[in-house]
Amino acid sequence: MNQQAIQLRLGIVAMLAAAFLIFYAIPNWVSSPSNVRNLVLSPLFWPYILSGLTGLVGLGLVIAGRRMSATTEPVNDAIEDPRAGLVRLCAMAGLMALVFWAMPRLGMVWTSMLAFAAMAFLIRTRHPVTAVVCAALTPLVLYAFFAHVAGVAIPQGILVRLP
Amino acid sequence: MTLRKLGAACALGLGLIATTAFAEYPERPINMVIPYGPGGATDISARAIAEPLGHAVGKPLVMSNITGAGGATGSVAVQNAKGDGYTMLFARVGSHTVNPAMKATLPYTLDDFRFVTVYEINPVACAVRPDSGIETIEDLVALTNKEGSSYSSSGVGSMLHLAAVFVLDEFGVENPLEKATHIPQKGGGEAATAVLNGTVTFICTNTSALAGFVANGQLKPILVTTAEPVVGFDAPTAVDLGKPALTQLVGWTGIAGPDDLPDEVAAKWGAWMAEAANDPGFVDQMNALGSVIHVMSPEEANTFIQKQYETFRALVDKLGMRIEG
Amino acid sequence: MSLFDNVMAGLALVGNINAFLSLAIGIVIGVIGGAIPGISATMAVALALPFTFPMEAINGILLLLGVYKGGIFGGSIPAILIKTPGTPASSATVLDGHPMAARGEAGRALGMALWASCTADLISNLSLILFAGWLASFALSFGPPEFFALILFSLTIIAGVSGDSLLRGALSALLGLLLATIGLDLIYGTNRFTFGDPNLMGGLNFIAVLIGLFAIPEILNTVWHPTGHLGNVQKLGKNWVTFADYRRCFKTIVRGSFIGVFLGSIPGIGAAPAAFLSYSEARRKSPNKANFGKGEIEGVAASEAGNNGVAGATLIPLLALGVPGDVITAIIIGAFMVHGLQPGPMMFVMNSDIIYGLFIGLIFSSALLFVIGGLAIRGFKPVADIPRRILMPMVLVLCIYGVFAVNNNLFDVGVMFVMGWVGFVMGRCHIPAAPFLIAFILGPMLEDNFRQAMLMSGGSPVILLRGPITWFFWGVTALTVIAIARGSLDKARETG
Repeated sequence: MNQQAIQLRLGIVAMLAAAFLIFYAIPNWVSSPSNVRNLVLSPLFWPYILSGLTGLVGLGLVIAGRRMSATTEPVNDAIEDPRAGLVRLCAMAGLMALVFWAMPRLGMVWTSMLAFAAMAFLIRTRHPVTAVVCAALTPLVLYAFFAHVAGVAIPQGILVRLP
Repeated sequence: MTLRKLGAACALGLGLIATTAFAEYPERPINMVIPYGPGGATDISARAIAEPLGHAVGKPLVMSNITGAGGATGSVAVQNAKGDGYTMLFARVGSHTVNPAMKATLPYTLDDFRFVTVYEINPVACAVRPDSGIETIEDLVALTNKEGSSYSSSGVGSMLHLAAVFVLDEFGVENPLEKATHIPQKGGGEAATAVLNGTVTFICTNTSALAGFVANGQLKPILVTTAEPVVGFDAPTAVDLGKPALTQLVGWTGIAGPDDLPDEVAAKWGAWMAEAANDPGFVDQMNALGSVIHVMSPEEANTFIQKQYETFRALVDKLGMRIEG
Repeated sequence: MSLFDNVMAGLALVGNINAFLSLAIGIVIGVIGGAIPGISATMAVALALPFTFPMEAINGILLLLGVYKGGIFGGSIPAILIKTPGTPASSATVLDGHPMAARGEAGRALGMALWASCTADLISNLSLILFAGWLASFALSFGPPEFFALILFSLTIIAGVSGDSLLRGALSALLGLLLATIGLDLIYGTNRFTFGDPNLMGGLNFIAVLIGLFAIPEILNTVWHPTGHLGNVQKLGKNWVTFADYRRCFKTIVRGSFIGVFLGSIPGIGAAPAAFLSYSEARRKSPNKANFGKGEIEGVAASEAGNNGVAGATLIPLLALGVPGDVITAIIIGAFMVHGLQPGPMMFVMNSDIIYGLFIGLIFSSALLFVIGGLAIRGFKPVADIPRRILMPMVLVLCIYGVFAVNNNLFDVGVMFVMGWVGFVMGRCHIPAAPFLIAFILGPMLEDNFRQAMLMSGGSPVILLRGPITWFFWGVTALTVIAIARGSLDKARETG
């Protein structure tokens, strides 16, 4: 993808987003009382203004994009194996969802240990032993600090409770 | 996962801190949720009682500020927590009587909580700028009727919002929602500043929030809502002015658990509070802030809160102030 | 009592080891707290507050002020080293600080951050002492219409941090403005995009958005390309900031400090906008304009001067009027009141010894910050040498803990993750993140003040031009917009 393609796509996405906001999202998801005295005071006023501006900026991006000279120079540096990169990103998204699900159940400390180890191996660390040691220690040290020095109630799971 | 489920999961997280049946409650630290930000009246009051209360309880109390939506975010966290007494809430007038009375969309009701105590009462005062030409509450009422006035609050559904309307209504302003403009601010400090810089005509709020300005002569109190005069506030009381109904309008801080809190836990809290609130250091600190220490038993607290809620609700329904969206 | 008597009474109060010890302990707590993402300066002050209750009034307050100042500086350490601002105020520092660290100049960036912070701190404290009365009277002339005009002007900062494409910067800012509308409406209390969820009613947590936008994309980039950093040396290195650097940036630092003092003395603005405004002014005036955002040391100096300039000045409305300038001073007011002190004009009469004691303590705080900050930089130095593929999981765990701790809410961790992906996609599309952040801070202020002004006037827009302050800000806004428009037209002509 080159600069021009990105610019055009961004513009189109922005215009679509603005249309979605104006015609669907704002009427449905923003509530306004019936007795608003003045149009500019309505809770809907500001979101509509912002959506309209988003549409205009989208239009601007498209116009500017069309005027750009087409180059073949890619926007981001290519990496060796984009497919593997994509798989890793998906795995990371899965890991984040899993962490969010597990935190209230397993407790923050155990979840972060698993997350640390999983991520370190996902990015193929060159120091696997160090990674495992750090995975075990970092959450414990942070727990000790936050729970006992800063007085934060770090969520503890149902399994093993730390002092 | 839907957002609602996400929210429930979060609250569950807090709940899970407090699992396992209690052999002898409490056997581990208790998580105390403060639904307002650091530095506010609730936070200062909660942190002031934390020390003597911790001694009475015998286990550490972990203070957690969970701020947002006028106290609703923190309250919901406790509402959804397990009722084992390891997650308790510092409830406040705004989050537990004004909000339920005014907001139809509030995700909780008073019945979702079991109050174990109310320990602190803050009188409410109304104040104006000394150079505003308003000397008495009658002046304010006359101005409101003639030209209209405005008042600030810490947000829609805050005690300050209701208090101003309540006072105007009691003093016979017809349709106070039309004649007095509500200009909400982001917080209590901003609300007081709005009177100082002339954005609004008057403010009705806790005396603790006004004491500094009154002592410095920057604001002039015109009314206090208690039966007894408040030290440092040279203004008539609601009873002096023949409006005893206004004595319902006071701020308070209490402690509540989820509605399924067992009786023995509630009873223990009653005993602890009685012990903690006698601590001279705590009493001095709260008196310095203009609060009155008045520890209520769980039953008294429930009656008190219910009565205040009904007064507010009646006013809200009469004037059509309820927020439905 | 004459000034001399006041100063002597103040000296008697702080002229002992306890006062300095409290101040030093405060700064240490602040720097460490600030350096840990999630423990913002606000939170560090709130945590330290209960410990000051049993102390003597002046020592307790000095300790809290130390935490405040230390916290604002401490935030720059992780901003530079791991691209995670420790406090919101240091988000502008990321823009140039992190590229410098990536180039192996972390030491130079950190050193400049420290020097700029201490200089700004000193200027801010001196302004407090000299101009408190004058600036305080100015602060009260800011009502909603004045704020609206000021914030509108501040939004022009976006042009300064947009990078190559102004349109993409605007897109980023609009996204930030739109996301900031989530929550309860200020005027009517109705729901906006909350889907009935109590966690969304409070709006998106600012720190969760901030860390999500800056730190998580860095993690995702490592996942996408784990070996991308090899070959780039990321070491603290030998290079420390030189006096020549300092002298070159001195003008920027002084300008940033005064921007900080000015914005700090107006209640309700805060340190993050000051840092951004100082940054964009520095960029506008600098001969190395093109290098900003790519690791220009002047950018680091400007942001750090801007945010530390606020720290002393927020005490102006606090001491002179009893009005807190930001959340931190609102907490500090609590400390005053617990000790039976009422900040406000009367305090200068009734407790002048405390006021002058504070002034003397504050003057020394800049020096203490310099010493303690220098030690802290050395203490955090090893972070730059941790292998990246160990550091990134560590940052992830740190962010999870930190974001949770801000509001004790696991939902915020989810917000951080989602914003991380938003930030990653924005990065891939070359949409700058800084405009998003500025808009996210200023957007709600702009809307709220606009609607408050409309309420005041009953809907008439004339109120937005009600006095010289508004005229001034409308004027400079117009000038800046014209300058930006001309600049981009010129650029379009060059390329097209």
